[in-house]
Amino acid sequence: MTVTIAAMGQLFVEGWAPEYGSPFETDDALADPEKVDETVEVDGPWAPLPGVDDGVGVVAFVDGVRRIDARVTLDDPQGPTFGICGSYGVGAVVWDRAGGRSDYRDLRVERLAVFGNGQGAPIPDSSGIIYRSESVPDSDPGALIKRFHGAMRKAEAALSEGLAQSGLFVVADGPINDLSATEKVGYIKSHRAPYLSPQQAPVIGRVRAGQRTPLFVIGRGGQYERYSWYQRLADLPGGHSWTGVVRCEVSSALPTATAVSIANRTAALLPLVGSAPHIDPRAPQNLVPIAALERELRRMLGDPAFVYRALRSAVAGAGVEA
Amino acid sequence: MTSKDSDNGVGRVLGTEHTSTREFRVVLDDAEYLQLDDLVVVRTQVPQQGEVRTYGIVTEVAAVYEGANFESDTHRIAVDGTLPGAKVRSAEIAITRVDPELWVSPDPGEQVERARNGEREKALYVDEMGRPLPIGLGRDGDPVFVDLDFFDGRKGGHMSISGISGVATKTSFALFFLRLLTARPDVLGEGAANLRILVFNVKGEDLLWLDKHNRYFDSVAAEGWAALGVEPEPFPSVSFWAPPRPQSGDVVVPDTGGRQEGVAAFTWSPREFVDDGLLRFLFTDATDSRNQIPFIEERVRSQLQRYAVDVAGRPGAIVLRDPIEGHGPGASVVPNPGERVITDLRTLVEGIEEFVDPEDGEPDQRWTGRVQAGTVSAFARRLHSAAHRLGHLVQAGETRRIDRRAAQVTVVAIQSLHDLGQRFVVGALLAETFAEKEQTGQRLPLSVIVLDELNKYAPREGNSPLKEMLIDIAQRGRSLGVLLVGAQQTASRVASEVMENAAIRVAGRLDAAEAERSEYGWMLPSTRARARLLKPGTMVVSQPALPVPLVVEFPFPPWATRKEEVDTTSSDPFEGL
Repeated sequence: MTVTIAAMGQLFVEGWAPEYGSPFETDDALADPEKVDETVEVDGPWAPLPGVDDGVGVVAFVDGVRRIDARVTLDDPQGPTFGICGSYGVGAVVWDRAGGRSDYRDLRVERLAVFGNGQGAPIPDSSGIIYRSESVPDSDPGALIKRFHGAMRKAEAALSEGLAQSGLFVVADGPINDLSATEKVGYIKSHRAPYLSPQQAPVIGRVRAGQRTPLFVIGRGGQYERYSWYQRLADLPGGHSWTGVVRCEVSSALPTATAVSIANRTAALLPLVGSAPHIDPRAPQNLVPIAALERELRRMLGDPAFVYRALRSAVAGAGVEA
Repeated sequence: MTSKDSDNGVGRVLGTEHTSTREFRVVLDDAEYLQLDDLVVVRTQVPQQGEVRTYGIVTEVAAVYEGANFESDTHRIAVDGTLPGAKVRSAEIAITRVDPELWVSPDPGEQVERARNGEREKALYVDEMGRPLPIGLGRDGDPVFVDLDFFDGRKGGHMSISGISGVATKTSFALFFLRLLTARPDVLGEGAANLRILVFNVKGEDLLWLDKHNRYFDSVAAEGWAALGVEPEPFPSVSFWAPPRPQSGDVVVPDTGGRQEGVAAFTWSPREFVDDGLLRFLFTDATDSRNQIPFIEERVRSQLQRYAVDVAGRPGAIVLRDPIEGHGPGASVVPNPGERVITDLRTLVEGIEEFVDPEDGEPDQRWTGRVQAGTVSAFARRLHSAAHRLGHLVQAGETRRIDRRAAQVTVVAIQSLHDLGQRFVVGALLAETFAEKEQTGQRLPLSVIVLDELNKYAPREGNSPLKEMLIDIAQRGRSLGVLLVGAQQTASRVASEVMENAAIRVAGRLDAAEAERSEYGWMLPSTRARARLLKPGTMVVSQPALPVPLVVEFPFPPWATRKEEVDTTSSDPFEGL
């Protein structure tokens, strides 16, 4: 049987390498149109707004990487309990715009073992590789990974908050977790949810590099209320209307005027650190400092084969099977 | 990146590449540097054996941005500053020595120190040299040594110097070496007594001023000589010899342009020519050996020795008489009326012609053997040509032989002679020197011969009595104390036996194609690349005591190398008058 699909629009091949998934994966379930307020900055029809470089001197980019090092099994008379051993690293790249150089700051690697069923066992350390043990009540492998991922996100949030409180302007990879009133921008590369109403959404296609949409509020009245906006990093030849578009967010605890000036600054600033398509398969969204940071953090996680072997030899005979 | 255990620390052994017993790399501390030819030492703790020190020499240095994956990342790090990255500098080290001799590689991460003082000497094996003689200055300004045992014949002999004419400063280096040799009897030891040096001046008149101060000698050069531990003075004991001017009549005047005073003219008398068998050195062209000429030459040479009789009242002159007439050795006779008296090369050639190619009658087979008439003619033709080109080198009269005992250094100026004449003089003097030493069979006193354009005298292709003589010196001279300092533009054009026997090899600037030849296999690849760029006054020196060649510089000479350089203020203007 042949299915004929009616042509609804123009077809594009995504610029990102296929293994990263598409930057434009909408998940309608995440969006709740009831809680989006599109009138916080511009009440009426939207038009692209220009970014404004206010000359901010130092920018900190925060990110984290994680890796599952091994799956472990805790053998018990009641039956086996499964767990994972993983490593994550978080850190920052501090860009001194006046000095024209970037440096890594506060790079840190943590190793965490998560067991299910409320069980747990200490992982013997070896070769200086030390795992902290935690436990979740669930036995679902997804729950183990969620806990592990959550630990990394918490570490990222703590670092972002610390840097922002020390007076730096922070751009953190991913949604913001800590909604305190500091100058930190969450930077979202993938578009999993359509937030804007059909009336305002087309303006995204008209936003050029260095411009942004007006602010809107997500989760109005909820626990995670944030200001958000879309901006374009680069006008790539042959791109579709959303190519090079990212979404940013700041805490709604900030006054609206502050949020506007941060949005203006971010719209002007981020195109300067966007990556080039021939260099980074996730260009331009994968920012140059963040790509470097991820590379450095991965390096610090250690050679996976080496870590795996060290773990195996450490738990050998300890009643834990890796 | 600066965690130093000692003041001499410059970096750490690189850990991302394998170290080996041949080479390793150093990642430099931010505040330190290494340049080519610097010497370093690494201490490694070897299980069960304790500390092993690895010494090495810098063969290349490098710098790169760590964190840059793409070429354009250079801008992101250096200008925009959006990419974190850092400059990393490193140096490649060729290992010269492991002490104690336990051939293990240095450990990664170990501190690398600059080798100074005693450590520097160990890196250069100076502590193991029987008699270390300075042979130049390293880039650090300290002397670099050569083990004289490998020059004066104890363990090896001879020196070979290669390089492009003009910029390679081959002759300058040879003289520099000789000056050190003569100025350091404390190092040379027993060989210093009666050391004799024979130098041929083959181009210009560069070597005719070795005894004169150089007016351009400055304080920088003086520092260099001071570092070498040698008083910067011209050669103290030199005698200069030049052939007589052709057609100068009865007055024998040395054939030199810029300098006459202190230069003696040399000639051989017909008697000396015959006794020394110098006839063979008239046939030194490599093509001469392809026909029967050597055969007839050998026969004529021995017949001359049988037939020659001194002429009473005419020193050095001879007549040719059949030995049947019964004149004993040392006899002198009064020539018969009309008898040919041989007083120079022309009359000698005519005398020989009477036997081998008479105008009327058959050739005397006792002189020619059974060779073809054409060969005899070729032989006679060459004799005439020789008489024309170097006839003035053979003259009867009181002896004017070059006296190599007159001074420590004997300079023989042959630049004015035709090629044939140059080869004749070189052959005659080498044969004389070698024969003397062969008779005594002793290594001492040492006799050093400096010969430029060795490819002319001992070419790789063909045969000649001169080439055989040089090969003989190269192979046996070491044990007889006859040491050859040979120089050539291209080592690949010199007889391989001569090159192979040189224990000490030196190169100045080399032609790019020449540097790739196997004759320079003693160089490291990095040294070869550099040899194309060496400045005048910089040489690469290889010696058996060291597994890697060293780059040395030698200071400006205190002696003049041109007339204009002669310092007239410090010497007596009436000298020689």
